[in-house]
Order: sequence, then C-alpha cells, then structure tokens
Amino acid sequence: MKAQEITDFALQLGVKLGFNEELIVQQSGRYYLLNETILPLVKDTFFFAGEFLGKVKDGRFFPSFILLSKLAEKGSANRVVVDKKTGWLFICGRDVFKKGVLKTYGSVNRKSFVLVVNEFGDCLGFGRIASDFDQAGKNEVVVQNVSDVGDFLRRERGL
Amino acid sequence: MSGKQFFIDRYKQLGWQYKPVELRQAIRINQMNNEGKNLIERLENIGTKLEKITFLQQGYWVYNPKVSVGATAEYLLGLYSIQEAAAQIPATLFSILKGKQVLDMAAAPGGKTVQMADYMQNTGAIVAIDINKRRLTALTNHLERCHVTNTVVYQLDARNAPKMGYKFDRILVDAPCSGNFASDPIWFKNRTLQDVERNARVQREILAKAVECLNQNGEIVYSTCSLEPEEDELNIDWAIKKMNLEVKEINCPGKNGLTKVFGRKLDPSIERCRRFWPDETQGFFICKLGRHNT
Repeated sequence: MKAQEITDFALQLGVKLGFNEELIVQQSGRYYLLNETILPLVKDTFFFAGEFLGKVKDGRFFPSFILLSKLAEKGSANRVVVDKKTGWLFICGRDVFKKGVLKTYGSVNRKSFVLVVNEFGDCLGFGRIASDFDQAGKNEVVVQNVSDVGDFLRRERGL
Repeated sequence: MSGKQFFIDRYKQLGWQYKPVELRQAIRINQMNNEGKNLIERLENIGTKLEKITFLQQGYWVYNPKVSVGATAEYLLGLYSIQEAAAQIPATLFSILKGKQVLDMAAAPGGKTVQMADYMQNTGAIVAIDINKRRLTALTNHLERCHVTNTVVYQLDARNAPKMGYKFDRILVDAPCSGNFASDPIWFKNRTLQDVERNARVQREILAKAVECLNQNGEIVYSTCSLEPEEDELNIDWAIKKMNLEVKEINCPGKNGLTKVFGRKLDPSIERCRRFWPDETQGFFICKLGRHNT
C-alpha cells in the first residue's frame, strides 16, 4: 500500500506509474524509492535515501520535484507549456494566465491537475486547472499554482 | 597566539606574502541534468556573463550577473550549483567514481556530494554523513534540487562512521576546519592557534576512522579550506607515519605541499599535495591518499 498514494497522484496527472513496493521506504512521512545497489546501505536510522518521491502531510501527498520531473517526461502527462515570463512568475508562486500558455497536452478540464513546463521542457511545478480552458479569456487564471521549484528558495529562508 | 599579524607572520615563514583578496563567484554545471538544455546560452540571455575556469571541466566564473545566480529558474531546476572554484577540485581527484561505493564524511551542505553523484551519473552509491541536522536539511534540499538519486544520508559524527559497518571504495574527507580569511572577513579576529590545533586533532580522528572504512585498494581525498599547516601538511605527515597511508600523484593546479614547516622536515611525498594560497580562489589544501603499496 505504500506506493498507492504516489501512483494515485500520478494518475491525477494522467500518468500510470508502477513501483516495486519492496523498494519503497518511508521515513517521517517521506517516501523514497531505492534501488538494489543502495538498498543494503539503508538502515532504520536513515535521514534521506535514494530517489525522494514526496511526503504525506495531513493525509495529503505532496510530490517531490524529482517525481514531478519524472512525470513530465511521460508523454501522457497533463501539462501546459508556458512562456518565459509566465514561467518566472509561476516560480515566484503566481498562478498562470491563459495568455502565457503556449501549448497544452492531456486533460486540461476544470479541476484537473497539470504540470507546468517551460519552453525547454523543464518541469517548474504543478497546479490545478482553474476554469474551463477553452472558454477562458486571455487575462483569466487558467492554472492555480499548487507547488513550484521556487520552494527551494523558500525552504532556504526557513533554515 | 592569535591576531592578524601573528597569522600573517606564519604565512610569511611558510613562503607566502599576505595580500587581501576578493573571491570570484563560480558555478559548476551539473552534467547529468543538462542534456540539450543550452545552459550557457540561457544564463547569458538573462544577463549572466560566464568564463570557463581553465582547471575545471564543468566550472565557470560568473561576472557581474544582472540577477542572483542563486535565484534563477536554471538554478532551481538543478542545472548548476554555486560552488567555489577550489572547492570543485576534490571530487575530480578520484580515479573512477562511476559505479563505486562512496563515503562523504562531513557532507553538508552537499556541494561535493552532488558533484560526485553527477560524475557517477547516479550509479553506485554515496553514503553522506554529517553531525548537524539543520545542515542535513540543506544537504537533502540540494540533493532533491539536483535530482540526485544514489545517496543515503545519515545524521552521524564522522568519527562514528565505522559503526555503520560498511566499506567504501572512495572516501571524501572534506574535513571540518578553521577556514581562512578569504572566505571569512572576521577570520583573523576570531581564530587562535588553539582553535587550529583543536581542529587538527579532530581531523586526525576523522582520517583514522576513514582508513577503517576504506576498502583495500580504495582512495581517500582529504581537503580543508584552512591555510594552517597543522590542519594540512602536518596531518598528512601524521597519516603517512601512523596510518600507513601514502600520498598519490595528482594532476591538479596549486602549489606543491610544504615539506618543511616551521623548521620541521616532513615526508618528501607531501610535495604531491596541493596548497592554494588565496587569490582567485579561497585558500585550500588537497591531497589523495591510499594504503601504502596499493
């Protein structure tokens, strides 16, 4: 059942992921995917191990940026490609206006989760479709920011 | 035994004339995250002028950036790390890293851990340890940002590393040290010779534990950012005599290690170490060690 939260999250983004359950470990609500090489080096007291997948807080799964990037590589992932300025504003925690979207892939129905990707294909984070994409005006918010890579800076401030 | 003049006189005795320095900011490109990303062009497009660092494969000097290089999308995406130029050298000294089992003692904040993972292309395994939990959080943020997936992190005093029960092919001892004036503006005010001697003792303890964790044909890279010979050449002289280690040849810039320190003659092989007096880079000391006759 450990992988359930992760695979369920991936499905919401239109990606079917499979994991070997035996290689997933949990520490302080954080999930990690190991491989056969590092598995023998992981004791109960580890602080961080292998591929960080995300954490569960208050019953909700928050993906790591490693997992989001992995999902963005899958062709089936729901994603919006945004222009440079929109990408920068998104990293600063802002939502995405329709005028900043260059292209969409997968489901962009209202309330769908989507990855936000820049023109180079880098995954900047993810959000939720806020209004019917096709009906929205160019100055309307189409993606509400849920999480973005600017979080690394916010975390540093908290240290 | 402290104060600016005291230390400046020591440096003079060691053959270096003190001069104030202004460090140049440097970045290191994370190769494994950069396939087809045109990073240099992207950074130049946002007003960051870069110049290749001649002695580093992935290192660049940064000139008058219009934006902070620690707050660009490319940085947040793990395409590069901000890493002082001399501090980029230790990880380059290992003969092969790919597929190896590596121990990074005193790993936080993780610049060199990420660099080794990059050279390993996430193969093999790194065990990264540090005693300070807050610094470990910075380390793990760094690992996530740069998409490192081959590292296991423990909160552990480096002197307890053998208790893990693992053996390693490569060990990085980037030892906690007294630092140097180039990267700490109040260094001369804060440091005493007693601090230096205390740090040197801890470094010897760590080095001894590193040897316990080393596979027969393994390599240790020892580095400090201290200019004080007690933490550098004198510790290596001790390691040669007491730990049965030898200093390996390295192809690396910097001055040869000192073989005569305050009238004391050291093992001649210490010449193979490298010492960086502050200039474009901060002060640094590096060497590669292996068991004698391996």
